[in-house]
Amino acid sequence: MALCSATKLEQRTLANQMSISLTNLNIMNYSSFYKDGKTLYCIIFSCLLLSFSTSFAGNVNRKPHVFPQEIKIQGTVTDGHAPLPGVSITVKSRSNTTAITDYNGQYAIYAAPKDTLVVSFIGFKKVLMPVLGRRTIDIKLEYDTSTLQEVKVNAGYYSVKESERTGSIARITAKDIETQPVTNVLATMQGRMAGVAITQTTGMPGGGFDIKIRGQNSLRSDANAPLYIIDGVPYASDPIGYSQTSTPFPTISSPLNSIDPSSIESIEVLKDADATSIYGSRGANGVVLITTKKGHKGKTMFFVNASTGASSVTRFAELMNTEQYLSMRRQAFANDGITTYPPSAFDINGTWDQDRYTDWQKTLTGRTALTTLFNAGVQGGSDQTQFLLNASSSKQTTVFPGEFTYNKTGVQLNVTHASTDDRFKLTVNTGYNLQNNNQPAADFTYNARYLAPNSPELYNEDGSLNWAGNTWLNPLRTLGATFRAKTKDLITSAVVSYELLNGLQFKTNLGYSDLNHVETRISPSTIYNPVANITSANSSLFVAETQRNSWIVEPQLSYDKTFDKSKVSIILGSTFQDQTSTSIAQSGTGFSSNSLIYNLASASTSRTLFSDKIQYRYQAFFGRINYSFNERYIINLTGRRDGSSRFGPENQFANFGAVGAAWLFSKEKFISGSNIISFGKLRASFGTTGSDKIGDYQYMDTYTSTGVLYDGNVGLQPSRLYNPDFGWEVNKKLEAAIEMGFFKDRIFLTAAWYQNRSSNQLVGIPMAATTGFNSIQANLDALVQNRGLEFTVRTENFKGNNFSWTTNFNISSNRNKLLEFPNLQGSSYSQTYRMGQPLSLQLLYQLESVDPQTGLYRFTDLNSDGKITNPDDKQIIIDMTPTYFGGLQNQLVYKAWTLDFLFQFVKQKNRNATLDPAGQMANQPVRFLDSWTQVGDDAQYQRYTAGYNSAAVTNAYLFNSSTASVTDASFVRLKNIALSWKIPLNLHAVQCNLTVQGQNLLTFAKYKDGDPEFTTYGYLPPLKTVTAGIQFNF
Amino acid sequence: MKRFTHPILLSCYSTVLFFLMVVGILHISCDSFVEADSPQSQLPSEAVFENYATASAAITDIYAKMRDRGMLTGQSSGISYQLGSYCDELDYYGSPTAAAAAFNTNALLPSNNLVQDYWSVAYNQIYAANSVLERLETSTALSEEQITQLQGEAYFIRAMVHFYLTNLFGEIPYIKTTDYRLNSRAPKVTVKEVYSFTIHDLEQAATLLEKDYLRAERTRPNRYAVLALLSRVYLYDEKWAEAANAASVLLNATELYTLQSDLKRVFLKESKETIWQQQPSIAGKNTDQAASFIFFTVPPPSAALTAEFINSFASTDLRKSNWTGSMANASSTWYYTYKFKEFYNTPVSKEYPVVLRLAEQYLIRAEARAQQGDLISSKEDLNRIRQRAGLAQALASSKEELLQAILEERKLELFSEYGHRFFDLKRNGQLDQALSTLKPGWNTTDRLFPLPQNEINLNPTLLPQNDGY
Repeated sequence: MALCSATKLEQRTLANQMSISLTNLNIMNYSSFYKDGKTLYCIIFSCLLLSFSTSFAGNVNRKPHVFPQEIKIQGTVTDGHAPLPGVSITVKSRSNTTAITDYNGQYAIYAAPKDTLVVSFIGFKKVLMPVLGRRTIDIKLEYDTSTLQEVKVNAGYYSVKESERTGSIARITAKDIETQPVTNVLATMQGRMAGVAITQTTGMPGGGFDIKIRGQNSLRSDANAPLYIIDGVPYASDPIGYSQTSTPFPTISSPLNSIDPSSIESIEVLKDADATSIYGSRGANGVVLITTKKGHKGKTMFFVNASTGASSVTRFAELMNTEQYLSMRRQAFANDGITTYPPSAFDINGTWDQDRYTDWQKTLTGRTALTTLFNAGVQGGSDQTQFLLNASSSKQTTVFPGEFTYNKTGVQLNVTHASTDDRFKLTVNTGYNLQNNNQPAADFTYNARYLAPNSPELYNEDGSLNWAGNTWLNPLRTLGATFRAKTKDLITSAVVSYELLNGLQFKTNLGYSDLNHVETRISPSTIYNPVANITSANSSLFVAETQRNSWIVEPQLSYDKTFDKSKVSIILGSTFQDQTSTSIAQSGTGFSSNSLIYNLASASTSRTLFSDKIQYRYQAFFGRINYSFNERYIINLTGRRDGSSRFGPENQFANFGAVGAAWLFSKEKFISGSNIISFGKLRASFGTTGSDKIGDYQYMDTYTSTGVLYDGNVGLQPSRLYNPDFGWEVNKKLEAAIEMGFFKDRIFLTAAWYQNRSSNQLVGIPMAATTGFNSIQANLDALVQNRGLEFTVRTENFKGNNFSWTTNFNISSNRNKLLEFPNLQGSSYSQTYRMGQPLSLQLLYQLESVDPQTGLYRFTDLNSDGKITNPDDKQIIIDMTPTYFGGLQNQLVYKAWTLDFLFQFVKQKNRNATLDPAGQMANQPVRFLDSWTQVGDDAQYQRYTAGYNSAAVTNAYLFNSSTASVTDASFVRLKNIALSWKIPLNLHAVQCNLTVQGQNLLTFAKYKDGDPEFTTYGYLPPLKTVTAGIQFNF
Repeated sequence: MKRFTHPILLSCYSTVLFFLMVVGILHISCDSFVEADSPQSQLPSEAVFENYATASAAITDIYAKMRDRGMLTGQSSGISYQLGSYCDELDYYGSPTAAAAAFNTNALLPSNNLVQDYWSVAYNQIYAANSVLERLETSTALSEEQITQLQGEAYFIRAMVHFYLTNLFGEIPYIKTTDYRLNSRAPKVTVKEVYSFTIHDLEQAATLLEKDYLRAERTRPNRYAVLALLSRVYLYDEKWAEAANAASVLLNATELYTLQSDLKRVFLKESKETIWQQQPSIAGKNTDQAASFIFFTVPPPSAALTAEFINSFASTDLRKSNWTGSMANASSTWYYTYKFKEFYNTPVSKEYPVVLRLAEQYLIRAEARAQQGDLISSKEDLNRIRQRAGLAQALASSKEELLQAILEERKLELFSEYGHRFFDLKRNGQLDQALSTLKPGWNTTDRLFPLPQNEINLNPTLLPQNDGY
């Protein structure tokens, strides 16, 4: 002991710069901590710390806390006309004394007569108010628009002040999310973020969205999803369903539905290299950071939000009625020279009533679905510990016949704690979400568009399904074939940090997620005509279960230091992540009763279709150095070294990095006094990111168990074409942007230009089937470029005491181009891509006209060989990339009324309905009435055919692959409108809002075949929803 | 808490933490962290062929795939059904927009899903066979007999799949390696060459495989199964003597094979007429054929035998009553193929899909002998089949008449079995004659399927497309 202390004393005298305080001498009292032979450690550590102490110790000293007599001070905080709740009031230089105003803007705080109160609130200028012995102090805050520049933006491993960020980050907050009656997190982002293109793939509850941030980087269509991070924990967005069970949706079930929008505080989307390089290999397609709500200190507050409403299909396709349809059919047979209608042409051969008319779209997809959204919770806390508990629940029914519901329930708990000295901090977040989805196994939209309009009644008089003498497949037969999905999702994370020395912080992010998803689809015997006598012995069940859990540990050290005019921030850290997925899919057929159909053990034969467990391991080291000088010149360096188990042993590791810089030119002398320009920043970044999205184990040479029995053996099949040599895909990103505020930031503009180039493309290169497979995994030496512009404008159009009006506008345009592709002509992509053209191109035939003589479509015979052939004549390039897209949001506040509305717009092309030849037994869009009937006709569409004229059939299919199959599908949509009224209650600490919200209420488009927003035609379009709700806080 | 604010001590803690962290990171940050556990469902390829059970599983899985997918499946997507509908056996009642509808109207497009599927599934099976052949060469743990038997089966599979492919598509690539660099650009070879490769593969298989079945249920091909296919290939290749000889070997192996006199029992699992049949996927399951052809409601939900076909049975032909079934309503009667009778599962499977059977060998030899001018022996073989069907001796007196009678007999004996009818008309040049009046959509060029469009795009050496597409 003595040695230890003596050494220290000795060293201390050497370090004579060190400030000596009384407390330092107390070291002797604590040295007993190191008893029992720990002396050596003690020496080593002492030496170490003393070598640091000259530079750090001076700052550690604290002022002695003095508490002279305090008085209670009360008052009201207003913005000039209305009280401001939630304003924080502290006593200057005593950070642990805080008060928060209640809903009437009232506060109470203890302070000494000579203290100064610090009043701060986001969006307002900070006020320093000397107490001067007063006991009642009413405070008026002034709006400060520039404080929006002071908001800290989450950049993942660090946060950065809006004004100082060097990267491209788009953001929405709870305020934007809460106005939207939706249950999917991606839906809340639509139209609100520049550069983020989101398309809803189906209106079916529980369905998915397609998201592309700054265009398509990878040739692999399934490798363009961004990285999702929820409170620091990566959230795998890979599908969790199974093709045999996820039948209602165009894509296999996505886990993203688990995220509860009501629990979200903010969503940040990281776009450029500066922001994404720190995510290295997983940042190529952008990063979506989701931060959940945290509690605030102050009075314990309860909140309840409840809303309920109705949804229906946005737009129907314009289809023929019975008269039009039957005349088409008659003409079709006449055209084909057939006078006696065949026995199977039930619609016109007299079997079916030819006067019936059913609008199948209304009948099968025209119901009003009910939506109920509810969340409630409590939050509060002390200076040291805050908490928030939120529970939510939603229920949606469908627009289909039958009783189908989608239920979602979630609980979220957040606790933050800080030690009294503020050095130790702990944040724990836990979210648990349940989804219970019950849907028809097949979307009725397809049937609704294709059924002949004079098809028979759905029901017989006795209420049973009408099979019309086995002449049709009653579409309601599939009502009994249901899809059920249950998802349980736990995401929990903790951030533990400790400030080792002033400015030096050790932090660890810990995360664990556990997802369990069970999907079933049944096909009961009741889907068959009872005449067929098919019993439950033919009923079948498909069950698929996915379990995915992952853990992540990210220890980090960060250091912040200000020297005079310079400021440095450094982060060093590493990531260890493990993700294990177990999935099993089984089927059962033959049940003794349909009541037992959900019980696999009751199936007379059951099979395991698929069963596997896969592991993904990921490791990284990352760092960031940020240097700013004089708050004007900022440079940001980020880097990451990544290792992934998805590559062969030789290719596991790769390095990524970026440099970003910003110049706040508005702080320069030549502008700083300007009345016009209030803010100005130029920023630029360049760097690399990558992608390992190729699936697990693809580099291995293996045989896979097929689960199929033959000769008493379960089969083994070659898994893939073997290639162990593929490695990381690399994406180089370059960005330059300007941000400017005018007139005290009442007009704020940003304009960004970017260029992203993806090389070393990690793809399943399509292979001719003669290779035995469809593709091989490899790095293709192709270069894909996305280049674009993004503009955002925020204006405060009017700001008065009773009325204010703000507008947000964003518009983005992305141009995708294939720059390099070695030997494209000779490759398997020769008929998919073109040099210098976007990846989303379509190669099509050129439709010329309808030949007035033959009544057949005429296509351009590009190679003049007298035939229309693929690929020679299918060479017309149509670019399917949206030309531009964006949103225009307005918020108007008049006294207690707030009106918020968002128009989303997309300028794009999309496919027309993919049709069978007009004239066959399927309904057609009404535009097909303009078809050729006799020689000399100048019609838009060719002659009808009942299927007997093979030239007409062939041409009809060519038509579907021709320039005529693509049309302008641009639209402007009133994406969201929300009106809320704050009830003027004169109750202390109670606030109540009434709201009316609408989603997708109006859609303006030229597109005729239904709603223009879809990725695959034939699925339920997005729904329009109106809800009324109440928000109650007390 | 005050203690923690002490600067020196704080530094102590900090340093400890920092030190621990560095040690911790160094400890776990070796490259081995990114080694993931092997997937549970996969086995390294070398390991597969170091064990007889897994090596066999690599072969038997190909049979399972032939049974369940592509051209040879008994499901309605297979050629037993689709060529019946393409040719003159079946009328189609299913959805006019399905891929199958285009078969019935002879309006196949190069983009037709089923056509694409036939092609890609077939080459996947061929790949699997080639993979077995290549990996067996380096296998050390298997015995000589085990290796030869598995090799024999792989050659048999490779030959059989190519044989059907060439009969549908004409000139095709013959794939003998797993090397994707070669296979992705593989050129087409003529039908003659395909036959010669097929014959070569089958001859190898015949020397490698034993006469005895590996399984009493005849679910693994033996040497006779190889010869059964070989005789057919010779016949198609117009090598009459070789065809007759190969068939004779089988017909003489009476200890294994005899014609089943009771027509009802021909397609039972235990039938002595069966040369190779496939084991169903599940115990108790019967054939996909039964489920594809039999219907219980009228008008039929998907397909029924054509009136022309049903009318071509002589009134005394026992095959009509034993191998076809019917359903009627007030106005009409519809017939279905009823060779396989078990629509549903049974406690123990009663019927397996029969791929090769003895009756065809009689007809092959009959035809080969007729072509060689040996009309008397030819008629003997033909009459064996006619006799079993309860018919009188064939009347044909000239070679041409006899060949025509054999063709007619093949139609009635082999209907709904793997496209025999279509192939017979085609190789005899009688497609146009037989179909142009019956099928309004028929064109001469329909004798070949279109090469799948996607394949031409991916491998332009497949150009030109077959005529008419």
